[in-house]
Amino acid sequence: MNGQERLIYMANQIARNLGAMQHDHAVAAVADHIRMFWDPRMKAKVFADGAGLSPIAAAAIEMLKQGVDPGHQTRATEFNAVDETGGSDAG
Amino acid sequence: MRILISDDALAIACGADRVANAFAKAAPDAEIVRVSSWGMHWLEPLVEIELDGTRTGYGPVSPADVPAILDGRGDAIRIGDVAAHPFIAAQTRLTFARAGRTRPLSLDDYEATGGWAGLRAARAMTPQQIVETVTASGLRGRGGAGFPAGIKWKTVLDAPGARKYIVCNADEGDSGTFADRMLIEGDPYLLIEGMAIAGLATGADTGFVYVRSEYPHAIAKLEAAVAASRAIVAPFRIEVRTGAGAYVCGEETSLLNSLEGKRGEVRAKPPLPAHQGLFGRPTVINNVLTLAAVPFVLAEGPQAYADYGMGRSRGTMPIQLAGNIRHGGLFETAFGITLGELVDAIGGGTESGRPVRAVQVGGPLGAYFPPALFDTPFDYEAFAARDGLIGHGGVTVFDDRVDMAAQARFAMAFCAVESCGKCTPCRIGSTRGIETIDRIVANENRLANIALVEELCETMKFGSLCALGGFTPYPVLSALHHFPEDFGLKDAAE
Amino acid sequence: MGYERQPDFGTPASSSEEQVTLTIDGRPVTVPAGTTVMRAAAEIGTAIPKLCATDSLKQFGSCRLCLVEIDGARGTPASCTTPVAPGMTVHTQTPRLQKLRKGVMELYISDHPLDCLTCAANGDCELQDQAGAVGLRDVRYGYQGANHLGQAKDRSNPYFDFESSKCIVCSRCVRACEEVQGTFALTIQGRGFGSKVSAGTADDDFLSSECVSCGACVQACPTATLSEKSLIEIGTPERSVVTTCAYCGVGCTFRAEMRGEQLVRMVPWKDGKANRGHSCVKGRFAWGYAQHEERITRPMIRASIDQPWQEVSWEQAFAHAASELKRIQAKYGQRSIGGITSSRCTNEETFLVQKLIRAGFGNNNVDTCARVCHSPTGYGLKTTFGTSAGTQDFDSVEHTDVMLVIGANPTDAHPVFGSRMKKRLREGAKLIVIDPRRTDLVRSPHIEAAHHLPLRPGTNVAVLTAMAHVVVTEGLADEAFIRERCDWDEYRDWAEFVSHERNSPETLAPVTLVDPAELRAAARLYATGGNGAIYYGLGVTEHSQGSSTVMAIANLAMATGNIGRPGVGVNPLRGQNNVQGACDMGSFPHELSGYRHISDGATRALFEQDWGVDLDPEPGLRIPNMLDAAVDGSFKAIYIQGEDILQSDPDTRHVSAGLAAMECVIVQDLFLNETANYAHIFLPGSTFLEKDGTFTNAERRIQPVRKVMTPLNGYADWEVTQELARAMGLDWNYAHPGEIMDEIARLTPSFAGVNFRRLDEAGSLQWPVNEAAPQGTPTMHIDGFVRGKGKFVVTDYVPTDEKTGPRFPLLLTTGRILSHYNVGAQTRRTANTAWHPEDRLEIHPVDAEDRGLKDGEWVRLASRSGETTLRALITDRVAPGVVYTTFHHPATQANVVTTDFSDWATNCPEYKVTAVQVTPSNGPTDWQEDYEALSERSRRIAPLEAAE
Repeated sequence: MNGQERLIYMANQIARNLGAMQHDHAVAAVADHIRMFWDPRMKAKVFADGAGLSPIAAAAIEMLKQGVDPGHQTRATEFNAVDETGGSDAG
Repeated sequence: MRILISDDALAIACGADRVANAFAKAAPDAEIVRVSSWGMHWLEPLVEIELDGTRTGYGPVSPADVPAILDGRGDAIRIGDVAAHPFIAAQTRLTFARAGRTRPLSLDDYEATGGWAGLRAARAMTPQQIVETVTASGLRGRGGAGFPAGIKWKTVLDAPGARKYIVCNADEGDSGTFADRMLIEGDPYLLIEGMAIAGLATGADTGFVYVRSEYPHAIAKLEAAVAASRAIVAPFRIEVRTGAGAYVCGEETSLLNSLEGKRGEVRAKPPLPAHQGLFGRPTVINNVLTLAAVPFVLAEGPQAYADYGMGRSRGTMPIQLAGNIRHGGLFETAFGITLGELVDAIGGGTESGRPVRAVQVGGPLGAYFPPALFDTPFDYEAFAARDGLIGHGGVTVFDDRVDMAAQARFAMAFCAVESCGKCTPCRIGSTRGIETIDRIVANENRLANIALVEELCETMKFGSLCALGGFTPYPVLSALHHFPEDFGLKDAAE
Repeated sequence: MGYERQPDFGTPASSSEEQVTLTIDGRPVTVPAGTTVMRAAAEIGTAIPKLCATDSLKQFGSCRLCLVEIDGARGTPASCTTPVAPGMTVHTQTPRLQKLRKGVMELYISDHPLDCLTCAANGDCELQDQAGAVGLRDVRYGYQGANHLGQAKDRSNPYFDFESSKCIVCSRCVRACEEVQGTFALTIQGRGFGSKVSAGTADDDFLSSECVSCGACVQACPTATLSEKSLIEIGTPERSVVTTCAYCGVGCTFRAEMRGEQLVRMVPWKDGKANRGHSCVKGRFAWGYAQHEERITRPMIRASIDQPWQEVSWEQAFAHAASELKRIQAKYGQRSIGGITSSRCTNEETFLVQKLIRAGFGNNNVDTCARVCHSPTGYGLKTTFGTSAGTQDFDSVEHTDVMLVIGANPTDAHPVFGSRMKKRLREGAKLIVIDPRRTDLVRSPHIEAAHHLPLRPGTNVAVLTAMAHVVVTEGLADEAFIRERCDWDEYRDWAEFVSHERNSPETLAPVTLVDPAELRAAARLYATGGNGAIYYGLGVTEHSQGSSTVMAIANLAMATGNIGRPGVGVNPLRGQNNVQGACDMGSFPHELSGYRHISDGATRALFEQDWGVDLDPEPGLRIPNMLDAAVDGSFKAIYIQGEDILQSDPDTRHVSAGLAAMECVIVQDLFLNETANYAHIFLPGSTFLEKDGTFTNAERRIQPVRKVMTPLNGYADWEVTQELARAMGLDWNYAHPGEIMDEIARLTPSFAGVNFRRLDEAGSLQWPVNEAAPQGTPTMHIDGFVRGKGKFVVTDYVPTDEKTGPRFPLLLTTGRILSHYNVGAQTRRTANTAWHPEDRLEIHPVDAEDRGLKDGEWVRLASRSGETTLRALITDRVAPGVVYTTFHHPATQANVVTTDFSDWATNCPEYKVTAVQVTPSNGPTDWQEDYEALSERSRRIAPLEAAE
């Protein structure tokens, strides 16, 4: 896989798993995930060329491209506030 | 015609099977019945011929004697009515009541001679009542320590825990003892009944019998008996386990370790086995003779048992007469008989005909008593008062050729070989004991080394973890004190 | 800080709440019921003579020195085995006792060499001390009697000697091996005078025995019988420093016992809360790498990786690095460089590296090795529980009734905690193991799993969902707990999902290859067997559905009410010593310390104000994305502190391509590691023995690391980062790591109450440490989840795209072995190679037979990514169709074979599933030969003098 193929693969893999999680808003969840965890150049490349994206992934990318805020769809994208303690997403 | 011949291991060793075969050939119509042994070893193989309801005993019988016996001859070895033999008539057989009289594995014989009456009685009682009955009988542990059985049972009954065990110590390793073996081979259901009663009394549903591997006949009989009586004692169940030749596994905590599959190493107490025994569960661990005494107590009531005996030693003791003795065998009698009566009157003095010089009572860790102490009554406290012990009831006789320094050395050597190796006084002390006794005998610094042995015995007696190291001083010091001349001293005062 | 032995109370402490008062030598003492007389005496400073007793082991009662007299009691009971009783009156010293003790000691010494002056334990020998204490003046038996003095020494173990002639047969070593380590390698052989300690093998030597060299026996030995070789060589220590082990995430506390700056030995510290006085072969013994001749102590640079290294001064190195980084940023843009923090370094060092990247490089291209191990834990537990840290402390296992171990091999990878698990299992807890391999836990002395589910690699989610199916459809769910603590509607959705027939064990069996009846039994046991605790490792996370598996685990724990009290919980067994800390410190590209997202304006403002810079609000690149971007040309330079990504990361050829595409690779490490073959600047690193700081273990326990010797390279790692930052133009002036921790505390709410003074006082602190929890927080989620309600997440099984087929019919899974740590950079440079000199490929006899392979022969292991050769180990520990290897040796490079597939949510690589073929081999692969040549070329060094 070259870099572009890999990004498309990643977006589709996220869509497949969040879809499997039966989120009511799988599209928003994929958009939320990419917004919070992807580096700007990765987003830019997928915005520029979305060939091969699955329908859910494509819709999510479109959402981000339009500048729509998907909101937090899972707690994975909710982070501690500046003065909050206790949370951890240590790997 | 019925011909009764024992199938006890000792009888077999004396030729009982060959004798039985000879009878089978010579009298094909006769019914040959293999029964338990009466316990008169010098008369084995003992044969009883039953004709028209009358039994006539012969012994010791060899195959060559068979035709003569069948022809009504054989006067030289005729005993007549065995039950009336003075050795038997003089006994009070409560535990060994069936010895010589029944077929060991016959449930019919057992039932017909009062078997299971104790268990039936116990089933009508609460656990507390059973424990109280055993306590009231005064029964004490027959393994050697003489701890009251009822108190041990009560401790287990009161110990919290869903799972408890009954363990029977059948690792009979004392020199000159054989009562456990005879009981298991001759009357295995009695032991099973006793264990089942212990289970009812304490809430244990499983029992283990730990038998020494040197007793293959006993193991086979016991396994057969356990299988045959399974339904009778259910839900209580019994498993038979075999030792691997370590004397120290007769010590209760080593035995428990061995049963658990571990090295046969002594455990420190506390915790007592009654609190944390087999696999950490509350456990009754009793000797064969203790458990085998229980059915009588339950069937006949505690007072019937307690009526026998003296002082705090109640009931009867199956005493085993062995060594250099004319009439060796099992002699069950009420506590209180003197050592002299046992050796001279019952045992008939030495086999060799020479004067008795020493008697070791209580196995290899028991004290050597000279004839001067023959007035000692057979009683836990009386023996303790004379620095001795009755242990498991083994009496081993020596004539005047015995070298008591060698016997003292042997006690240390026995300890050195049989020690589990855990505690220091026993593990190293026994070897140093051998070496120091050798120096005494070789007259190297004799007086200083005698003092050193005395001090070593003190260290072993009070410092050892269990009775193996703790009791080794008994034979050593008794030999030294009663027979100083064998150590190169003129008399005890030197 | 002189040298003194750790205090020894003789017998373990009693946990009873009932107090008992007694009198010892006329002094009243009150102790918990169940305490022994010996310990009660020790509590008031009365040292009753003893040899076989030590407080890490159960009382034994063999030496007979500790006899006492008790009013009203018969004889002279041993104080170590006699529990206290109310009103008891004890006499520890009487003429009778003195005589008995002297008598016992006289026996000991009659069978002991009299070479005290030349003995390794001279001055630190309990036998010597006790002979003095009991007043032994004479051995009347002489020394001519039977003895054990002529016995040969066993020097087979690389780290300690066994000198049987000095043994007093106290069994402390045997008991330590059983009770503490749980290996049962040692025994007492023979009886009576012939009793002796034995390693129980035909050769009767330690190395060929079952011994795992944990050192517990050596620590327990009261004489010189078992002595560290280093102690024998150097002599007794003169001072000791308490510090934290730098190997795995258990975080054992050790005493570094020193002479001057020379380390004599590392001894586990009894007061260490993670290890409770225990250790493993790595932390205890494998520290020799710190002085290894291959350590690089001078900075080096080169223009290209074809050239030899050129040693330079530190100033030159920093100036060159800074100018290269600036040049590249000027040419390729601000986001064209980044860095990797190290989970092996301290919190303070990690914090500085991410600060350098965010504040100095001006972007968020920072990541850490958690990416390739437990990042799915972060994602999965955060989604379900609201926070991802492990829910329990290690002590919790002592209250566990059922352990469910998934994808973890704790006896190899987390050995000290593995021993605690085994101890609990021997006490009667039940065990379920879900693992493709039959790990040691499945069956080892006195331990046997109730259920082992040997699943096909890659089907974790299916197995866990099937277990949930059993829990829900058989009515075993704890609905009261769920209603109170979790989102009920989400539970109902999830329950409906798992209850579907397609998720039953029977339907999934063809996929998982797990016997449905066994799976059902396991699920019932976990749900109904009392306190159920799940322990898991990288066998859960390193999959394409790693995050989903973590969520499936959390679902199962919540559904059965196994959260929020001692003995239960979800427990990720973390890999590196400071992986928790590296994450806490803000090593991930999307978040700052304390798990606050970089896009949050308030958080950025806090840091911007403190650091005096503007921060990039966009998340940066993850490690695999950095490599992708490097190949694509948008990422050109990287600063890697203490990580060897070439060996440790998957798809080695892709990693090497990424590194080769960069213009400046800066590696900071102890050794010229594999990644350094592609580096342009090498900055020598320092060991954990050479610096101050803190590590945070898997229990969130912040523990001090203390400097015991001067860094060989002259700088601690934090100082190197600081100098690099200063060369980049940042005005940093930290004089001590304590100042860095003060900054962390200032900027991170969960560390608000942490500082070095408090750590010195408390020994360790479990975060959060703040005003609400000044003493720290051992167990999370006690009264409720930290954030809101527990959330059930539907985890549909999505098979990996890595599929077996005709070309690659077998599944490779990878793992670790006890004697080596990760890429082996440290342990390969110690005598641990005695146990594991090379990686081997485990293959089932049937698969070996099919391919004509023989045990010990070379085989070629190939996947679509690449191929390597190694030797085969034929064993039924692996199921047919599965092969297994470790990745400790660069000669093997198991990661040449692993693929670029990764977890969907976190990009954690799918190390645990690779479709492979195994064939006979007659030599190294082209890659291995090429790489060997590259390594040799790349490791040439031109010394500083030559350049002048």
